[in-house]
Amino acid sequence: MDGYIVNIQRFSIHDGPGIRSTVFLKGCSLHCFWCHNPESIGLKPDLQFYPERCIGCGRCVEACPNGVHAIEDGRRVLRRERCQRCGLCTETCYAQALTLAGRRVSVEEVMEEVRKDSEFYRTSGGGVTLSGGDPCVQPEFSHAILAACHAEGIGTCVETAANCRWEDLAMVLSETDLVLLDVKHMDPIKHREATGVSNERIQANIRRLSELGLPFVPRVPVVPGVNDSPEEIGAIARFVAGLSGAQHLVLLPFHRLGEGKYRSLGLEYRASTLAAPTREHMESLAAEARRYGIEVRVG
Amino acid sequence: MVTAAKLNYEERLAKLRERKLEHTRAKQKEGPWDNDDHGRIPAPPDFHFKPTPNHPSGGFFGAKSVGANFRALLESHPPYVDPYSSLAGGYMVYFFQMREPHWNPDLDWSPQLHEAQQRYGIIHGIGGGQHFAPDLRLGLRLGFGGMLNKVRHYRELNKDNPDCDPGFYDGLEDIVLGTQNWIQRTADHARQMAAGEADPELKANLLAMADMNDYLVYGVPRTFREACQWIVWYQMICRIFNGSGALDQLDEVLRPYYERDTAAGILDDEEAIFHLACLNLNDPQYSQIGGVGPDGRDLTSRVSYLILEATHRLKIPANVAVRVHENMDPAFLRTAVRYLLEDKNGSPIFMGDRGLVNGFMRNGYSLELARQRVKVGCHWCAIPGREYTLNDVVKINFACVFDVALREMMADPSVEPSTAELWERFKKHMRLGIEAVAEGEKFHLEHMWEVFPELPLDLTCHGPIEKGRDATHGSLEFYNMCVDGTALATVADSFAAIEQRVENEKKLTWQELMRHLDNDWEGAEDVRQMMRSIQRYGSGGSRGDYWAVRISQMFAETVKDVEKGYWFKLIPGLFSWAQTILFGKMVGATPNGRKAYTPINHGANPDPGPTGATSPTALAMAIASVQPGYGNTAPLQMEVDPGLARDEDGVLAMEALIKTHERMGGTQMNLNVLNREKILEAHEDPSKYPDLVVRVTGFSAYFASLSREFRQLVVDRLLTSGL
Repeated sequence: MDGYIVNIQRFSIHDGPGIRSTVFLKGCSLHCFWCHNPESIGLKPDLQFYPERCIGCGRCVEACPNGVHAIEDGRRVLRRERCQRCGLCTETCYAQALTLAGRRVSVEEVMEEVRKDSEFYRTSGGGVTLSGGDPCVQPEFSHAILAACHAEGIGTCVETAANCRWEDLAMVLSETDLVLLDVKHMDPIKHREATGVSNERIQANIRRLSELGLPFVPRVPVVPGVNDSPEEIGAIARFVAGLSGAQHLVLLPFHRLGEGKYRSLGLEYRASTLAAPTREHMESLAAEARRYGIEVRVG
Repeated sequence: MVTAAKLNYEERLAKLRERKLEHTRAKQKEGPWDNDDHGRIPAPPDFHFKPTPNHPSGGFFGAKSVGANFRALLESHPPYVDPYSSLAGGYMVYFFQMREPHWNPDLDWSPQLHEAQQRYGIIHGIGGGQHFAPDLRLGLRLGFGGMLNKVRHYRELNKDNPDCDPGFYDGLEDIVLGTQNWIQRTADHARQMAAGEADPELKANLLAMADMNDYLVYGVPRTFREACQWIVWYQMICRIFNGSGALDQLDEVLRPYYERDTAAGILDDEEAIFHLACLNLNDPQYSQIGGVGPDGRDLTSRVSYLILEATHRLKIPANVAVRVHENMDPAFLRTAVRYLLEDKNGSPIFMGDRGLVNGFMRNGYSLELARQRVKVGCHWCAIPGREYTLNDVVKINFACVFDVALREMMADPSVEPSTAELWERFKKHMRLGIEAVAEGEKFHLEHMWEVFPELPLDLTCHGPIEKGRDATHGSLEFYNMCVDGTALATVADSFAAIEQRVENEKKLTWQELMRHLDNDWEGAEDVRQMMRSIQRYGSGGSRGDYWAVRISQMFAETVKDVEKGYWFKLIPGLFSWAQTILFGKMVGATPNGRKAYTPINHGANPDPGPTGATSPTALAMAIASVQPGYGNTAPLQMEVDPGLARDEDGVLAMEALIKTHERMGGTQMNLNVLNREKILEAHEDPSKYPDLVVRVTGFSAYFASLSREFRQLVVDRLLTSGL
């Protein structure tokens, strides 16, 4: 079976227990404006361009059948609207100024890569994490990778926003040891404003998930102006406290490390004016959340 | 025992750290120092010493002259006592820097050997000092008085022995007498300082140091503090003499004193930590802690923890190595990793027991002996007092060997160029290069004793005093001479790039490649990038990885084959030290897209390549796969994300990484936890962070003390590490 991934990151240590390889899958059903993996939102490959790496050799101009690349009056011109995402230009761009975010791979190809660190998983109690994007956008493919991991004794973890049909989620969860559950907001309207979708299905899925007895860790990206008030975090904490099976709650401070990716994709970065929450603010939010009797960690 | 126990150790350490910073600032004004920090104190401006030559060249050669000059230096060396320290003494000069000329010009090696050394980029090590280890326990058992008696006893016994070097005992005696004079003057100086000291606690401390050192002029150390003080003296004379000195398996060396003193109620852990910190302040010499004893027992003891704790509290450069093994105390490893991440000074280093022990046994040594070979240098181990090695001194540049092979093949009209043909020629020249290395070492072992013998180290070795011959002159039990290969990634990636782009894809011809190399890629940046963007060594299962393993294995096999023609053994390792710049300057452009005369890769590490970072697990696996496998190291040098220190997950992951690398046969891990912003700022203005510590390679140093070129090395590694 094949599917689309962005890349596989070895030695991930904040995506579940131990040393892990995180497979970033393509495709997400949410469109959070602060997303730090914008290249993973679409299901198909995206062309990324890093002008600072370009050596002006012109190989891409020759390689592209659709005239996406041109040098006009000594200036580098990129016509993204013509791009068919075939990747031919990236194959000749040895300076790696042009890259394709996303490739179609087989389950076996994924396994070949993640298998490399099996020794490290064993020593550390780690394994493989599916992230993205959202693994539930490609449920069959995700399920097949997870099942292949289990067949080789590799532990599995899935990071999802649970915004999908319950059947799809259930399929993925059937081969999952630990779920990292992204929770953004408790208010359906504000949730829609921030992510493009309402949270009703998400909350229903989370409730059902919590009844499976599967361990899960709710994780909240704390984004200024979206959910960084004590009330908003408190509401999430109250919701989590009412679920069974949540190991603890993690608050992850917003950061702007994804900004360069927006530029490379030719996209507008709407979070450019937001500042990362201070450590003190994160701690005060954590203290608020702890009032609901749950363990809270700041990432 | 008179102690200054009432003083607050933390406050005293803070004072000592301040003083160290003053010294470091003063030294930084003297100019860059691309080496271990050492603990040298700036000399007063009126202190000068000039050795007396015994040769028309102006040099001083042979045990008698070397010993006499060294004694004269020690007898004129200013005493130094810090009232806040528990240990007296400080050194201000390097005797070995006065070796001018470095080698006796009457003793030259053949022009053919000179030529081969140049062709293959060999650092031959002829005339190189130290780089083997003293047996501290032997010294501590004797004391300086016992050493003197031992020298005099064997001088008498061997007076008619024609195998002895006639000037050798004169030299040894002068070393001891000069040391005793320096200790006595320092004791006197402490007493004088005490007389003028108003603070009663400092006064008591100065008097305690005066009494202790009066005793140690002849006496055998009895207590933990006396043992530390004795080690300070011995290390200082080694360091001054030829930059040497090493603290052995320090926890085991000091354990009997610790156990005796704590049982007697005259020492507690806080005081022991303070003495250990003072020992490290005097000079951050290399030491090993933890590990496996000859009988298989885990050596971790309370003292191992105290040594870690002392360096943790000091936060100055430190060169402590933790020996990692299967059955080690897990809490000890956890503490070591935690301090590594918290202190961010690259300390401790982690050594892989399995690779070191199993490898060393492949040279024909027993398990018991292999376990006694401890980490006492930048990237190397030695059996204290019994083994001569020249470790880290002798290197061969694979990139030069490759370049000779490539150009020879291309100049030969009778062959069709191919990687197969190139490999055969590379192999042939590797052998010629290693033969030249071995010839150089043979020459060194024939003549070093009559140029600059290892006198201070001879005093703590088994054999030299008894046999009347220097350690370089056959008086030790084992001679395991070092051959380190460099530029592994440069050459492996060159093979892989040619194979992929020239042979398989036919993107360019051999002749075009040669033209680009000769023109240093001028006007062909795209081709250069094409040659760089291949499946490099370090990506895991790539052709670059294949070539790297193949080169390392062939190198090791060739070394062991060449060894058969010599009376000593040769042990292969992979390490460039911090000489990646020097080795790079020896060779023009290479097919991996490297520009002419730019640095080669560091040690056994992969080149970062155009997109930078290799993941820590990929790095750990790559380096485990290229171990030459005879007990000398191919270290893993890794820049670690300081974010790992944020929570326990990072500690656990780092610990698992270290354990797995050890299990895979990795031999040494130098882990640098770097703060990107701070390093970049300090690179531009070193005076901003005079006490910022980095692990440059196997050694740890103040970043601001390094030359701009060396700082750039660290910065480049940081920028390509993805941090």
